[in-house]
Formats: sequence, structure tokens, C-alpha cells
Amino acid sequence: MAHIRRALIVAALATGVSTLAVGTAASQGAKSEAPALAALVKDGKLPPVANRVGDEPEVVTPLKSVGRYGGVLRYGLRGSSDFNNILRMTGPQGLVRWDLGYTKVIPNVAKSFEVSPDAKVFTFTLRKGMKWSDGKPFTADDVLFNMNDIVIAGALTPLGPRYMAGGKPFTVEKINDTTVRFSFAEPYGDFLAELASPLGQNPVLYAKHYCSQFLPKYNDKIDDLIKENKQADWKGLFQSKCGDLEISARWGNPARPTLDPWVVKDPYVGGATRVVLDRNPYFWQVDTAGNQLPYIDQLVSPIAQDVESLILDAIGGKIDFQLRHLDSPANRPVLAQNRDKGGYEFWTANAPGGSNMVINLNLTHKNPDLRELFNKKDFRVALSIGMDRKEIIETALLGQGKPWHQGPWEDHPNFHRKISTQHLDFDAAKANQLLDSVGLNQKGPDGMRMWKGKPLKFKIDVIPTLQPEQVDMLQVIKRQWAKIGVDMDVNAVERTFFYQRTSESNDHDAAVWGGQGSWVPGDIPQQIVPVHHDSRWGIPWVNWYKTGGKSGEEPPASVKERMKLYDEARGTADPAKRKALIDKVADIAAEQFEVMGVATSAPTFGIRKKTIRNAPDAMVSSWYWPTPAPSLLQQYYYAN
Amino acid sequence: MLLVYVLKRLFWSIPFLFAVSLVAFALIQAPPGDFVTSLAATLAASGDVVDQARLDALRERYGLNESFLVQYWRWISGVLRGDFGQSFEWSQPVSDLIWERMGLSVAMAAATLLFTWAVAFPIGIYSAVRKYSIGDYVISAIGFIGLSIPNFLLGLVLMYVSVVWFSHDASGLFSEQYQQAPWSWDKFVDLCKHIWVPVIILGTSATASLIRIMRANLLDELHKPYVTTARAKGLSEWKLLVKYPVRLALNPFVSTIGWAFPQLVSGSVIISYVLSLPTAGPLLLQALLAQDMYLAGAFILLLCCLSVVGMLVSDILLALIDPRIRYR
Repeated sequence: MAHIRRALIVAALATGVSTLAVGTAASQGAKSEAPALAALVKDGKLPPVANRVGDEPEVVTPLKSVGRYGGVLRYGLRGSSDFNNILRMTGPQGLVRWDLGYTKVIPNVAKSFEVSPDAKVFTFTLRKGMKWSDGKPFTADDVLFNMNDIVIAGALTPLGPRYMAGGKPFTVEKINDTTVRFSFAEPYGDFLAELASPLGQNPVLYAKHYCSQFLPKYNDKIDDLIKENKQADWKGLFQSKCGDLEISARWGNPARPTLDPWVVKDPYVGGATRVVLDRNPYFWQVDTAGNQLPYIDQLVSPIAQDVESLILDAIGGKIDFQLRHLDSPANRPVLAQNRDKGGYEFWTANAPGGSNMVINLNLTHKNPDLRELFNKKDFRVALSIGMDRKEIIETALLGQGKPWHQGPWEDHPNFHRKISTQHLDFDAAKANQLLDSVGLNQKGPDGMRMWKGKPLKFKIDVIPTLQPEQVDMLQVIKRQWAKIGVDMDVNAVERTFFYQRTSESNDHDAAVWGGQGSWVPGDIPQQIVPVHHDSRWGIPWVNWYKTGGKSGEEPPASVKERMKLYDEARGTADPAKRKALIDKVADIAAEQFEVMGVATSAPTFGIRKKTIRNAPDAMVSSWYWPTPAPSLLQQYYYAN
Repeated sequence: MLLVYVLKRLFWSIPFLFAVSLVAFALIQAPPGDFVTSLAATLAASGDVVDQARLDALRERYGLNESFLVQYWRWISGVLRGDFGQSFEWSQPVSDLIWERMGLSVAMAAATLLFTWAVAFPIGIYSAVRKYSIGDYVISAIGFIGLSIPNFLLGLVLMYVSVVWFSHDASGLFSEQYQQAPWSWDKFVDLCKHIWVPVIILGTSATASLIRIMRANLLDELHKPYVTTARAKGLSEWKLLVKYPVRLALNPFVSTIGWAFPQLVSGSVIISYVLSLPTAGPLLLQALLAQDMYLAGAFILLLCCLSVVGMLVSDILLALIDPRIRYR
């Protein structure tokens, strides 16, 4: 399976373009539409398709062939907090998006973009005549509303680092109806990648003509609306009507205009049993033959309270396309066994790189003794070479993967040999010697080493439901470390408790987390520089970084240096220069060796109906490339 | 007499409900973390990432950083004014969410209760009267099996069997085309086609235990001298059975009405979860898991009210059926 992924990436890199070619041809326009829409046009209930898609629709080259209209795509939704599942199907329709190979940011809602050489000014050209899903025009005013009245005003969320450079916010100006310009005080090369992330959709999230009525600034009588809708304040009203990036209410109001290929018909609300999205008659993409997308009429998702019952739905042929909730290795045999009955086939979902488990010793431990020990590099090296990764891979991982710490794989341009492959070879003798040398030469009656006169013992926190194999891996590691006299306990904790114990209160000895990632722009390299609440090896340092030194704890020089380099890399537009800076961060991280991993992340799988066309057989599985959305579900279709 | 008794009971339930609301709120808050932590953890489980700033803003907005008593007061003072607050998860008023699903819960609980009685009542009488007959043994054996199989397991097996062997879907309460449709005769028929699965699953264990109770109670009565006397006086066997021993043996049926009320919401949580039924149970469970405090709190308050009312109703009914029971 790895070779499929490799082929994908190599192909994308070699040609330097995505497999889904993109372009805009004003002359081409839209010529054809779904039969149901054509009937509405005939009855005079809908304007002609050429008017609806506007003068400059995006022309999408279908992955394999031009499709045909019709059909319903069914996928399973969980009963609570599964709003991002819907988001990943419709796609976060931001100004820009990632290409199929996850190597390049390309225009999306914007027709084109231009970045100034100093990476401070970003100019986006919008599509002429483009419309919201209710038929109202989409213009630069919408972008200004989103940016000035919502994001910069901090109306719903305080202004975050995504829309700042050098600690200062940006300004947005309207050049004309189809041109907007974002200007930052400092260089911000990662801005495009941040906009391509599902969390960077803000500039085009809300339709001004609809959502402005829920802002006090635009509506004097907002108190009546609040009362009418039984909300506590205008923020509650706004979010319940217009949603937000990651919130259930985003899919709760059919009246909210969007730019998505499908729009809500039966909403995702507390009592719902299924969610239905209908095609957006004003969607702004066409295929190479001038057919308006999407091909598929509806997205229908039954709500399963218990995700286990999704497996039954799949076997029963009631699921057409699914990755989420289904892709655990344990489900594979039963799904494989019943694939003919369910009429589906498998596709591969690959990690973008990295490993499925990194071990974060808490280098900022509240207990000074453990903190002193964990901060000794030789101790960490001893733990790493005290692990027999071959055995772990063969037992806990069923032979999948190879020894690896973290970071992109060899076939990726960001590959960094030292941080990924140093100290991987099992060497018990050398591990013992290193442990003796750091002051762990006393042993207790049980053969376990003593530290400062007390038995050395620490716990590694893990969430058993997140990636179930992590617990198995830790059990093997526990046995292996016991042989070199290190007493480690596996502490399986409920996920909410895990968050509270680690990211929020820094009470942990050590914790594990998935180490998938490839350090492309937008993907936070949290295991080489502590800048995110998943950097559990230095949570107080993360807080120091996030608050600009106001809270948390001042990190050591090597960490501060990396934070500076990382900020610089985020500001750099030139890919080669950016890579050089991230390389430097990785160099220092490799030298310090704070975080260790075990093995490369194995691919998982999704299922899809055998009759679905234009879906790639392998794609990246990631949040920043919100699988499967960038494969453009709007150009999937059903064969006869 | 009866009226005074009822009023007294109702009066005492007020401080009781207050105490319960405090305990309930404390219990909902007892698990580590809060709604926001739980949200972040749930998203991470699906590989999604959320901005820390957004989490902090949510926590601020919902006042989750404040002390327990402040949060409790904010909630309960709203409840007293009839405002149950907002569900954090759905951004919808809690009151809307709860009533939306209560209707089907009531329907299902009522159907289950009727089914249980319709089956347990005659069978219990039969197996008591024909003690140690073949029929009694068969029924007892089935009863014990029914008692010992966990509901959810039965549900899972039934679902698996019906999907894999019969290509029929046993989950849900409606076919796809009726799910969002307004109520009509066809929709009602469709509901009847689906509701029997959960009703039977839920009914089996309750039926089994009621059969055993009915049998035991009736056996106690059947050997009492008044039965012998009645028989000696030439009363027909049927009348003799139904007029006194069965009436007395009914007590357990009536006392369980009190439990049936809160069961409307909580009794079928697991089976509704497994079968994805659109009843109130799964919503309660989700609210608890997500620490969606106001939604969960409202549900628990509702459960307590139902228990209080249910116990009152069954006490009154008991007194009506059994003259030996008196108000004090």
C-alpha cells in the first residue's frame, strides 16, 4: 500500500501540478445542468445555469472522466459532535484549497491570487457573477464583512495567530467588487496554507446579506430576534443561525446561504435522525464539458448513535462512502468478508508522514527530581535504544510499518534523516551503560533502578480509544524497559481526563500522541517545537509562546531559538527558504532529541460503492488536508 | 382524605426536587474536565484539530471557569423562571430539544408496558395455576433466559441477524421516507412496523420478571383458606381465581407503574443507543458524555419529577386496588 502513496506523491511532485487540473475559462461557461434544475429553469423558477454559475466558474478537470448526474451519496454520521464529518464531505470552501497531492495551494473560491515578493500583501481576485446558494451575489463586500466585522473585531473568537503576523493583525481593503487585498505588517508566507486549512475559511464563511441581521452593529432590533429565538445573547443567536467553523449549528439552519456544493435540507440538530444536503443550484464549479457540478444530487447521512452500527449499515449496503468512524484495523476483516454483500470496495487513506505514536516525556514536570532526569538527553537516548522496535512492530502492529521517530518520510521533500532515524537500533548494553552514567546506577531489590534514593517510576498517559494499538505498543515497551531497569506504567485514561491532565494542567509524567505530519505549511510541527497544546513535552513552554511570555514558563535557549525560527518560517513565502528554516528547527530538535517515536504510521482504509467513479484509490488522511474533501466529491458520480 | 394526602406528598416533593437538582448538577460536573475539554477530546478522536483560542472563548462564554455554586445558581435560577438554558452542543434551547423526542419515548414506553402486561399477566396466572406442568416448565425456562440475556446483546444479535441473513434493517423507528415527514396514517403504520423490535427486546426481561412475581404471589394466595372456602361454596374456578387471588397478586404490577414513568427516558437508553432510536434516552446519554450541562441537567430534573409523580400515582392506585393499604 505504501507504494501507491509513494506513486501518488512522486507523480504529483514530478509534474509539479495536481492531478486535478484547474482553470477558468470565461468563454466556456456552463452549458448543462442537473435534470431537476433544468426542469425548474423551464418553469421559470430558477435563472438559467449560465447566470447561476456566473461568468467565471472554476473549470474542474474530472479525475478520470466527465460524469453523469444523479444519485445519492450516503455516509454515516455520529449522533453528537460529528459536524466536521459533514464539513469533510462538502469541503471547507475557502478562498484557496490544497491540491489532490497535498503539495500545493491552489485557488478555490478566489479565481486567482497574487502574493507580493515580501509576502506581506495578498491580493485575491474573486469570480465575476458568483452567487451564494440563495442566488444573491457573492462580492468583495462579503469578504470585508467576514474579516472586519467578525474576525478582526473578535466578535466570536479573539483574533488568533492565523490572522496575525508579527503580533499585529492585518488590514483588508476592497479594490473593487471582485478584488480584495490583505496586508500584513510582517511577512506571512504561510498565510495561503492557513487559508486552505478547514480553520481558515473565515474570509468567505458568512453571507453578509443574511448574517449581518444577527450582529448588533447592523440590526437595532436585535433584542427582539434574540428573544424570539430563545437565545441568551446575540452571540448565541448569531451562532445558532449562521454557525461557525467547528460547531453543530453550522449544519443546523437550512436558510443560511453557503458556497458549498450541497446545502442543508434536513439539518443536523439535537433530535435529528438523519441529515440531508441537496445540491446547491448556484454552485460555481463546472466540469470540462461545461456541466455544472456536483454530479450527485444529495448527501444523505443516517445518524447512528453507536458508531458500531455503522459497520452493519456498510455490510447492509446502506453506506456509499465512508472513512471516518470505520477505519480502525479491527473492522477490516468483517468489512472485507462482506464486501460483495455490501457492494463496496476499499480505498487507502495514508498518513501524510510521521509515526502513529510519539512518546512525550514531560520535560517541564512539576516534580523537580523527575524533571531533572527527563531533561538528561542520555536518559532519553537510553530509553529509545532500550526499545526493540522490531518486536513492537511484529507484535503490536502486526508487522505494519518500520522503525521511525517522527517527521515526513523519505519520499517527501521535507524528509529529515537525523530526526527520523537516529537512535533507532536496539542496543540493551549501551542503554544500560547510558543509564548508569546519568546517575541511575543504583538498583532496588526488584532490579529496578533508583533515582535520588527512591525507586524510579513514571507513568505514560494514553487514550485507549484514540488509536487502540498505542496501548498494545506501550505494553510491549513497558516489558522491554523493565529489562533495562526502568519501571514505566501504562496509564490508560479517558480522553477528556487525558486532556485535562496533560494539555490543561501539566500533571503528567509522560504522554503519547499520534505523530503524523509532514511539516508542510499549515501543519503544525508540534513535536519539534512546542507551540501547540498537543506538544505535551513542554506545555508551560507552549503557554509562554502563545501568550508572548505573559504566562507559562520561559523555555531554554534551544527551544526559544526554534520558536523564533518557526515564526520566521511561517513568514517566509519562498518554499525553498521556508524548508531551510524548518530544517534548522528539525536540526536543533534532532540534536536535543526531546521526543521519540516507534514506527511509521500504517495506512488505514475507507470504503466506497463499486459504482462510484472519479474517486482516487488512495489519498492523504489528515485534518489540514480535510480528507476526503480536496478530492472534490462534487466530481464523483455513479456509473449506470 | 385522599386530597390532603396528595397535597402533602406534592408539597414535600419540592424540597426533594431541589436537593436532587443540586446533586444532579454536582454529578454532571463530577467527571474531569468540562464541555470544552470533552469537545476537544472528541474532535481529536476523529483526527480533527481545534484552535485553543476558540476553546478558551467557548469556556468564557459558557462561564465554565466559574465556581460550582455560581454555575448552579445561574442554572437553577433560570429553571425557576422556566428557562432551561441553551444546549452547548447544539446552540438550541434545551426545552425545544427535550420535548422533540419525548413523544416517541412515551409511545415506546407505553407500548412496552402494554406488551409486558399483555404477555406476563395471563402467562403468570397460567403457570401458577398449572404449577409444575410441562407448560409451566417451558415458560419458566424461557422466562429465565429472558431475564438473563442483557437487552443490548439481544438487540445487537437481532440487528446482525436481520442485516446479514434477511437484508432487513432492524434499527430506527421509521423507514427512510418517513423520517422527516409530517405525521400521517402511513407514517403511523410505518412506526408500528418498526416499533415491535425494541418493544420485544425491552419487554423480554420485564415480562420474565413479572411472570415470576405473578406466579409467586398467586401461589401464595391460592393455598389460603378463603380460596378453599370459596371453592367449597361452589364458585366457578374462573371467578374464584380472578375475583380475589389475582386482584391481590396484581400489587406488583401496580407498584411498578411508578418505575415506568422515569423509564420513559432512562429505561431504554442502551437499547435506543444500539438501535439508533430517536427517543430521549440517547440524547440524555450524549449530553452526559459531552458534559452538555444544561441539557443533561434538564433531563435529570425531568426524570426526578417523573419518578415523584409516578410513585404518587402508583401509591394511589395501590390503595384503590388493595383496601388493606391506608393513607396515613
